[in-house]
Amino acid sequence: MDLRSVLTTWILLLAASSSVADNLAGPLVDQPLADQRLVDQLQLHGFASQGALKTSANRFYGDSPNTSFDFTEIGLNASWRLNPRLRLAGQVLYRRAGEMSDDEPKVDFALADIILTTGDSYRVGTRIGRIKNRLGLYNETRDVPFTHPGIFLPQVVYFDKVRNLILSADGIYVYTDLYQPFGLFSASLATGLPVIDKNVETAYLFGDLPGDLGPDENSWLASLWYYSQDERLKLGWSGAAVSLEFDPQQGSPLPIGPGTVDILYWIASAQYNTERWSFTTEYMAEPMQWRGFGPMRPDRDATAEGYYAQVTHRPLPKWQLMLRYEEGFGDRADRDGRKLEQQTFGLIPAKATSSRILTLGLRWDLNQQWMLKAEYQRHIGNFILSEIENPDFGSFEKHWDLFAIQAAFRF
Amino acid sequence: MRIKDCSNTLHGVRRARCRSLAPWTARTATQFPRIQWPQVSALILALCFSLSALSLAQAQQIIVNDDVAISDIDRNRARLIFTMRINQWSDQLPVAVFVLPDEAPLHQAFAKSALGVFPYQLRQTWDRQVFSGTGQAPLQVANEAEMVQRVRQTPGAIGYVGQPLSLPGIKVVEVK
Repeated sequence: MDLRSVLTTWILLLAASSSVADNLAGPLVDQPLADQRLVDQLQLHGFASQGALKTSANRFYGDSPNTSFDFTEIGLNASWRLNPRLRLAGQVLYRRAGEMSDDEPKVDFALADIILTTGDSYRVGTRIGRIKNRLGLYNETRDVPFTHPGIFLPQVVYFDKVRNLILSADGIYVYTDLYQPFGLFSASLATGLPVIDKNVETAYLFGDLPGDLGPDENSWLASLWYYSQDERLKLGWSGAAVSLEFDPQQGSPLPIGPGTVDILYWIASAQYNTERWSFTTEYMAEPMQWRGFGPMRPDRDATAEGYYAQVTHRPLPKWQLMLRYEEGFGDRADRDGRKLEQQTFGLIPAKATSSRILTLGLRWDLNQQWMLKAEYQRHIGNFILSEIENPDFGSFEKHWDLFAIQAAFRF
Repeated sequence: MRIKDCSNTLHGVRRARCRSLAPWTARTATQFPRIQWPQVSALILALCFSLSALSLAQAQQIIVNDDVAISDIDRNRARLIFTMRINQWSDQLPVAVFVLPDEAPLHQAFAKSALGVFPYQLRQTWDRQVFSGTGQAPLQVANEAEMVQRVRQTPGAIGYVGQPLSLPGIKVVEVK
């Protein structure tokens, strides 16, 4: 479908549902209570955002060296609570992110949430369908600008270039929440098929090879969270195990075997909140194994790593300042990337496997519906950049800056 | 400013006395001062502050629909209900949560003093649930009058008001 018509349709849809939501939310004095009940149980929400970004070099979210507007996120969701035990929810997401997305509306999640048993101090439930993976503090709502302080999530932990690998899974999710006097505990276990796209293939195979990379078997995901009663302190561990299999194209000139990539991806998270300040830190490690790709891609083990510390300050109720420092490495045994550079005869330069990023951000919530953000980033290294957007690794600029602004609306 | 006002209002009083910040000590029967604007405005300001402090300190009341079988609630449970984690009452009746807009002073005071969380934390929790499909947001009403009306009409409803009230169909619930 033509990009412009998709956009127009979506904006119209969004406007229509916004007015529906307004009607639903308005006072309903004379309406029969039964209708009111249905209206209360069916919720519609949505958001739309448009960003602009400029980089001093390297492509990120489109043609950023020449200012890119290729950064749009539109989501529309519905949640219908049929009864206290059963809820249906779904969200459609349209996302434009340079060449890192394929410009088509996608089902972001579509699930049935069933509470199996519940009491005053616990809840056990299951979700079936397409489920957003609960990884780290932000993965579940990573495309919703209102749910995180900066424009971009810390890329060394939440890679946008391979977001699909860990974004969601089609499968089943079991969760339990315990409400104790000293805090809330929640644990979850899930299994399902990940959604793989060209970005994942290019990133994990270092290039777009002739053939297809798909899930080898179901992914497994687990998470464990503790929140203090007042939710000032949040601690969590979450992880995913993903297996990918490469199906080489028949008769391809390149001798690439039907290899596998096994990935474990886990995040340890901590956040402390006060009225004016929030302190957040997360550590991500990603052990990977490549096997059976043949002589051109010898078997290899590596553990990617990323971590950040982030301070958010709210000097006034509607204003937020953010300072973040992050570091990420393609292989923690080869942080400066020299070993890989030698092994690949310079094909993958050392600077392509690490990133150090300093970010300054400003967020202004005009009201409950509208928000503006501005962000500046100073980068050393190119680890977080997409191989699809920057196919020529040799032309990476190691030191680069990024400036971005974003406007967002929600209802 | 003060010195200028003083000299305007207190004829014949030396500036030094004026600066002593106790101009009324210079009053005589014949020199009754006109309205002293700096003092008056200071008084009004002080009054406003103490009034607003009073209104902040005033206990926000949790209200529930008459069919909810509780007479008090502890803060942890109230927090679980307002963060949409508990969605049915002990007798299986579905909970319907009503809140005022984020910017409403009563909402902010309620979040902080009754629930012990900051309003931005509530918003974060609701947003995470709504946009990940894992839960719902409370129903938002425009003002206190609508809050009262909706809580009265909706079975299993819970909400809050800024003033104690006594109305048929609504129970005020004490937060323990």
